[in-house]
Amino acid sequence: MKLATFFIFVGCLHLSATAWSQTGNSTLSISLKKVPLEEALATIAQKSGYHLLYNNEKLAQTNSNVSIRMRRGTVTEIMDECLKGFPLSYRIVDRTIIITPRTASAVRAETRKPIIVAGVISDSTGNPLPGVAVFDKKNKTIGTTSDQDGRYVLEVGDNATLVFSMIGFIDQEIEVKGQTIINVVMQASADELEEIVVTAFGNKEKRSDMVGSVSSISARDLAKNPSSNLTTALAGRAAGIIAFQRSGEPGEDNADFFIRGITTFGTGKVDPLILIDGIELTPTDLARVQPNDIASFTVLKDATATAVYGARGANGVILVTTKEGTDGKARLSIQLENSFSRPTRDIELADPITYMQLHNEAVKTRDPLGSLPYSREKIAKTAEGSNPIVYPANDWVNMLFKDFAATRRVNVNVNGGGSVARYFVSGSYNRDNGLLNVDPRNNFNNNIKLDSYKLRSNVNINLRPDTRLTVRLNGTFDDYTGPIQGGAATYEQVMHSNPVLFPAYYPVDSTHRFTKHILFGNYQSLENTALYINPYAEMVKGYRDYSRALMLAQVELEQDLDFLTEGLAFKTMVNTYRKSYFSVTRAYNPHFYQIGHYDKLTDTYSITSLNAETATEYLNYEKSPNEVSTSFYLEAILNYNRRFHEKHGIGAMSVFQMKQNLDAQGADLQQSLPFRNMGVSGKVTYDYDRRYYAEFAFGYNGSERFASNHRFGFFPSFGVAWSISNEQFFEPLSRSITNLRLRATYGLIGNDAIGEPDDRFFYLSNIDMNASNRSATFGNGSSSYFSLPGVNITRYSNYDITWETATKRNIAMELGLFDKWSFNVEYYTQVRKNILMDRASIPVTMGLTAPIRANVGEASGKGIDASVDYQQTFMNGFWISALGNFTYATNKFEVYEEPNYDESWRYRAGRPINQPMGYIAERLFIDDEEARNAPLQNFGPYGGGDIKYLDVNRDGQITQADQVPIGTPTVPEIVYGFGVSLGYKNVDVSFFFQGLTNESFMIDANATWPFAGQNALLKVYADDYWSEDNRNINALFPRLSPTVNENNVQSSTWWLRDGTFLRLKQAEIGFSLPDALLEKIKANSLRLYVNGSNLITFSKFKLWDVEMGGQGLGYPIQRVFNIGLNMNL
Amino acid sequence: MKRTFTKILVAMLLSAASACNYLDMIPDNVATLDHAFNERTQARKFLFTCYSFMPKTGSPSGDPAMLGGDELWWAVARADRMWGIARGEQSVINPIGSQLERLYQGIRNCNIFLENIDRVPDMTEVEKRQWAAEIKFLKAYYHFYLVRMYGPIPLIRENLPISADPETVQVSRESIEDCFDYIITLIDEAIKDLPLTVEDPTQDAGRVDKIAAISIKAKITVYAASPLFNGNSDQAGLANPDGTPLFNTEYSEEKWARAAAACKQAIDLCHSAGKSLYEFGSTYLQYALTDTISTQLSLRNVLSPSVRGWNEEMLWANTNSMASRNFQLLIFPAMETLTGTTSLRGELSPPLKIAEMFYTHHGVPITEDKTWDYLNRYALRTAGSDDRLYIREGYTTASLHFDREPRFYASIGFDGGIWYGHGNYDDRAPGSLFNIEARGGQRNSISSQASTITGYFLKKLNHFENVARLNNSVSIHEYPWPLIRLADLYLLYAESLNESEGPQADVYLYLNKVRTRAGLPTVESAWTTFSTQPEKYTTKAGLREIIRHERLNELAFEGQRFWDLRRWKEATNELNQTIRGWDGFQADPADYYRPVVLFNQTFSTKDYFWPFDENTIIKNKNLVQNLGW
Repeated sequence: MKLATFFIFVGCLHLSATAWSQTGNSTLSISLKKVPLEEALATIAQKSGYHLLYNNEKLAQTNSNVSIRMRRGTVTEIMDECLKGFPLSYRIVDRTIIITPRTASAVRAETRKPIIVAGVISDSTGNPLPGVAVFDKKNKTIGTTSDQDGRYVLEVGDNATLVFSMIGFIDQEIEVKGQTIINVVMQASADELEEIVVTAFGNKEKRSDMVGSVSSISARDLAKNPSSNLTTALAGRAAGIIAFQRSGEPGEDNADFFIRGITTFGTGKVDPLILIDGIELTPTDLARVQPNDIASFTVLKDATATAVYGARGANGVILVTTKEGTDGKARLSIQLENSFSRPTRDIELADPITYMQLHNEAVKTRDPLGSLPYSREKIAKTAEGSNPIVYPANDWVNMLFKDFAATRRVNVNVNGGGSVARYFVSGSYNRDNGLLNVDPRNNFNNNIKLDSYKLRSNVNINLRPDTRLTVRLNGTFDDYTGPIQGGAATYEQVMHSNPVLFPAYYPVDSTHRFTKHILFGNYQSLENTALYINPYAEMVKGYRDYSRALMLAQVELEQDLDFLTEGLAFKTMVNTYRKSYFSVTRAYNPHFYQIGHYDKLTDTYSITSLNAETATEYLNYEKSPNEVSTSFYLEAILNYNRRFHEKHGIGAMSVFQMKQNLDAQGADLQQSLPFRNMGVSGKVTYDYDRRYYAEFAFGYNGSERFASNHRFGFFPSFGVAWSISNEQFFEPLSRSITNLRLRATYGLIGNDAIGEPDDRFFYLSNIDMNASNRSATFGNGSSSYFSLPGVNITRYSNYDITWETATKRNIAMELGLFDKWSFNVEYYTQVRKNILMDRASIPVTMGLTAPIRANVGEASGKGIDASVDYQQTFMNGFWISALGNFTYATNKFEVYEEPNYDESWRYRAGRPINQPMGYIAERLFIDDEEARNAPLQNFGPYGGGDIKYLDVNRDGQITQADQVPIGTPTVPEIVYGFGVSLGYKNVDVSFFFQGLTNESFMIDANATWPFAGQNALLKVYADDYWSEDNRNINALFPRLSPTVNENNVQSSTWWLRDGTFLRLKQAEIGFSLPDALLEKIKANSLRLYVNGSNLITFSKFKLWDVEMGGQGLGYPIQRVFNIGLNMNL
Repeated sequence: MKRTFTKILVAMLLSAASACNYLDMIPDNVATLDHAFNERTQARKFLFTCYSFMPKTGSPSGDPAMLGGDELWWAVARADRMWGIARGEQSVINPIGSQLERLYQGIRNCNIFLENIDRVPDMTEVEKRQWAAEIKFLKAYYHFYLVRMYGPIPLIRENLPISADPETVQVSRESIEDCFDYIITLIDEAIKDLPLTVEDPTQDAGRVDKIAAISIKAKITVYAASPLFNGNSDQAGLANPDGTPLFNTEYSEEKWARAAAACKQAIDLCHSAGKSLYEFGSTYLQYALTDTISTQLSLRNVLSPSVRGWNEEMLWANTNSMASRNFQLLIFPAMETLTGTTSLRGELSPPLKIAEMFYTHHGVPITEDKTWDYLNRYALRTAGSDDRLYIREGYTTASLHFDREPRFYASIGFDGGIWYGHGNYDDRAPGSLFNIEARGGQRNSISSQASTITGYFLKKLNHFENVARLNNSVSIHEYPWPLIRLADLYLLYAESLNESEGPQADVYLYLNKVRTRAGLPTVESAWTTFSTQPEKYTTKAGLREIIRHERLNELAFEGQRFWDLRRWKEATNELNQTIRGWDGFQADPADYYRPVVLFNQTFSTKDYFWPFDENTIIKNKNLVQNLGW
């Protein structure tokens, strides 16, 4: 609390000091008693009208108070008095009092004429640059950073060389040579923000010194994605990420993402380790991170980059760090966004008349004696449309869904600080709305409404000059209301609802004029007493609330150990989080009505209730199981970095980490025990003259999941790099080829996250001593029967289960041209061994109640990541930057234990892991006669117009032996993206394309089978199907059938589609207010922008958004238009 | 500072040293298999576990004998897996009704129990032996169930260890004779240690006792002697990969003699234990019943021993697979015109051929009865006063429904047929009793809520005390599914004796016991007096036909016909016919009483045995597929 007051105070002080710049000289009177030095200085500045310039950090170290009583003193006298006893000196330059610490070096420098240098640092456009590091090249302990206005003050020797350094800009070195005012214009570096990369355990490494394979995404690019979900921005943004999104439902729209694809087929973890400020979190937590809070977003890909994470990093690592405060007064940044979204593509359904006609046809074509579901009269009357209540023709989609949904996002952050502490506090609020309609007659809202709140506070405290404490507190809170089954289910219900049997609801008639409830329509036939799905009633009958919270507290302590040996530092971090989730539903049982009597002559009808006994007008309440989990994590790092004789760079790091997760919902005793993991890892790097680099890293990990003989695993890796462009002989080329570098790494990584969640402690047997599915009952029923639960073995003990290991190789080339272009190409291979899989040789006669598993599987993967960056600023203020990313990741089974098949094509080994197996659909049978004479198909009744499969092994029948690998994998192998940003003066424009290819998916024939379970009739099916009149053997849809025809829904090439697409993923136009206007509104910057996502899609597949793959009937992916404002005060 | 740091370093090293145990997550006393046998109460759970693998009998979705044959049919809209067998949809891809996994799991658990039961400290030797005997029997029974489905199978005499190498686990099928020998030997071993009857029926009824074991053993010996397993030349080609034939194609009459002896031994033991054919008695509640209804209830209630304890006829019933509430709702016709939704379904429909299977009231087949007009059996006839306990007086229905044996009226409901019970118990006032009205537009018609597809309802399995008036007042009496009852044993004895020794006194004696309880004259008098083939019962072949027919009628809907047709190798005749029913949508009797074809069933030699799942065959190269699959 005190601390906060102090921050605010310091901020005010600065404002007031600069505001009071009136004339007035000679003398002034002052009387202060025991006030902090800062306050005293402020008072002096205020009374004298002088500017005040000092280094917050140094000043804050002076914690004693000042008392001054002086009448008619000069400024100099007062200052002398004021600073008496403080290790501070001052100087007055041009009506500015500059205060500097009287450091040891300054004292020493007295012999070398210490001088005070001050100045303003700005970028090439003239904007002041805060946070630029300024230090003496020879003695780095003498240094400071520029404040929010780009100003700095530093006391150095008059012959010193100052270095100005900041991420994203080229370092500048300026010799002081007695100058007291040095203003600097920093030049942006070629690959902005790429220069310094945050790597494992928060280390900052120069891109040009790195050996491992790391790519990063700029926070600015992430912020361009107008979505409340960060994961949707990843595809195509960084080389090495395979990402795709299957659903557009708020709260459920996380993209799937994998680093360099999936190279295992075990049932364990395949997605990357996600670390946000060093804490392992889930994709949902990543999705909720505000782009504006992100300082860096890094992807660690190869063995040496991830080695220090040991077993946790086998599938790659995503590292996110959040912003920290910088010195200076409080700076407020505000971002407001307002988005409108609608589906990228609507699924087209056949009109109700066609629906009825084809349903009749479906029945007739399968059973000539079958009774038709719709009479000719009903069809005619519906077509006529004279009475839409009795002869309804519902367009459920329009009835249930709005044209667009609105989303609002607000992010406010404030940062600043002084020499004692710096802070970054960010709060944000997102409101995502769904597309569902709300019935005004209900007094609750059943539309999706996802409110998420985030609060993040990062505080860095300098305990001593060489000791730093960082405290991070972070809370993420989601409050959701929405339809009971969720948005996707509502969409699916629409696709499984009959459009013509009943209207959504009946208008209130005279009989029901006192009825308070909605008269929902439904239908009950004599044959079928079960009620139909009225999607409208299902949607509006109630709502679900869920609430999710993540509370996170983290403490980091950094200690420079220069007193032991120069370049040594110690860092430790402890964090814990609590997650909770609960959900409740409230709903009434809708009252359903049906037309009871209809008088054709007078065109009047009456309605009768179908469920008066069970329906309710009031809401019922149901709660779902709560989820609560906690985590505790500790790491301790010893870091050593030093350069000897300018040529030898040595770095070393050793890490100890331990982790515990506890889940309150463990399904059994074994799952209820804490999940634990610990490890020691380390890394040694050496470079010679920034030309030759070598790195060795290892992880030594323990996992509780394995028996003690396999509990610990040692996973080493090493790498080398050669910066050719730093060689002497390269000098002639260095103007055009600014960077040329080769890298290679090789390493072993382990993975203990194998098997399913209930497979903890593989080595132990798991026995349910009270298994209800093994219970038996006896007795004669004279009193009650006697039952006892039984014993169920759910796992057999196996002491041989051990680590899955990955051997990763990586070679890379970096190329920079003219300081404008940079290329990065990497080729990698990976071999996974010891993949846990079910033994294939266990026959059913063994009678085992649980599968036997062993580490016998092997898989390999290889691929290419490539990225290109281009950046240029022209003299007239026009700038352009472009980037392109390409990821190709392919994999295959190497060893897959399977039975000895007679047919070579059944073996998985050598095939891509995610490639579907299926039958080869030749075409449709012309007629029943042909079907009878073709090889027997074993799936159920079939005849003319049904799918004919190829008898691959020619044994006269279609069995599983005829299944072959079909299509490309269901996880895309190639994901790419490219975009251009350009700007001129106050206007900037950017667009970004993203695409993927080598992916296939199956249309879910069961879910789209018209009429079965009241499935809707897709227009494309209605337009192109096999019928007895039109025996088109290549029609899109086989012969109609009122129920799912098992023969036709087998996994086969018939339903296989190419998932390739390219889309304009994102485009943006921004306008920044010119300085003149900014002055008026007292803002540092203000930018207005309009952006959009998923604007244009190119794909051969037209049924639904192709990125949704086989889940096309769910909540569609959204096209978003967004207006935003970003203001810095 | 240096000192502080050193302190921290030391503290960290110490904590790292203590962290070595950090990963030892397992608390003591995590349940392992040892816990299952460390005391009697836990061992008893394991005993129950072994029982939990009992096949689901009497369940339309779990027992192929319900819907897999021709005894019951279903509306198309209610497709269920087992019904696929009846419709010829069996295939090697995910075979319908496969029991391999479940039963071999059961056998493994039985073996685990037998390996460990001696370790239980707090049990007497006698009890251990008795429990072991029960489990030995179950192990034999599970093997038998598999043999009945698959023919020769791999016998799991002892469990193979989990770590056994792939060659060892690839077991082969053993010859059919070895299979039966092993099963029977195992049961003989068990019988020694079993109690005659369970000690405490309130808690233990349904567990295996000597009565159950010996009668099931009798049944198994009859299976072993039956044509499907005894000298079946169709299966001559079935051999293991090493060439060992799995079927002995030589017929052995000796097997029948062994079966007859086993049946006789079982019957004698049952009699000594007080078992006898069930008779309902002449009163119910305050009502003095007519003989007609009393006989009918003897036939219906014989299955339902739960109400008054297990009756005197039940030898072994499956308490782990009851004739459940859901099942009985599935056969429950609407007893009055109901409004709103109802859980009554009444949709398991006996086809016309089953209605025709039952005898005439003279106790001979309708095709043989001289006095019964077979040719005009579909002609209309109006019920008179004499028929009032069978058919609603004045109601017009098919001649087929008149003058039939009591088992016909006890087993199936038909248009116009009286349905005693279910809340209406006064048979002296027949007008108060319920009757089916199944023609188009009527309350039980095909288009109503509780509908039949053939025009017939399954009455026998619907407990007569069940009451369903309105939706909210349905009360159902569940009862354990009968696995073997005395009448079954009598008929098995008659059958095997006839096969081994030909017609003789004991054959007639036990056949007639069953007939008498069913209200029918003896075989001798019925055939002599009424049959067009009066000498039929005197020849071995003729008597065989009579015994088989008697068996189908007596045990109709009890899950026996499906297996009996197979073991007699009669399925190729019986299951290659059409499934027919009345023209259900018609309202006018003249239109309604025209048989319509619902399905053409096909059954070929391969269908006598289940196919092994193709994956099972691929995993185990030593396991040969059954012929034709």
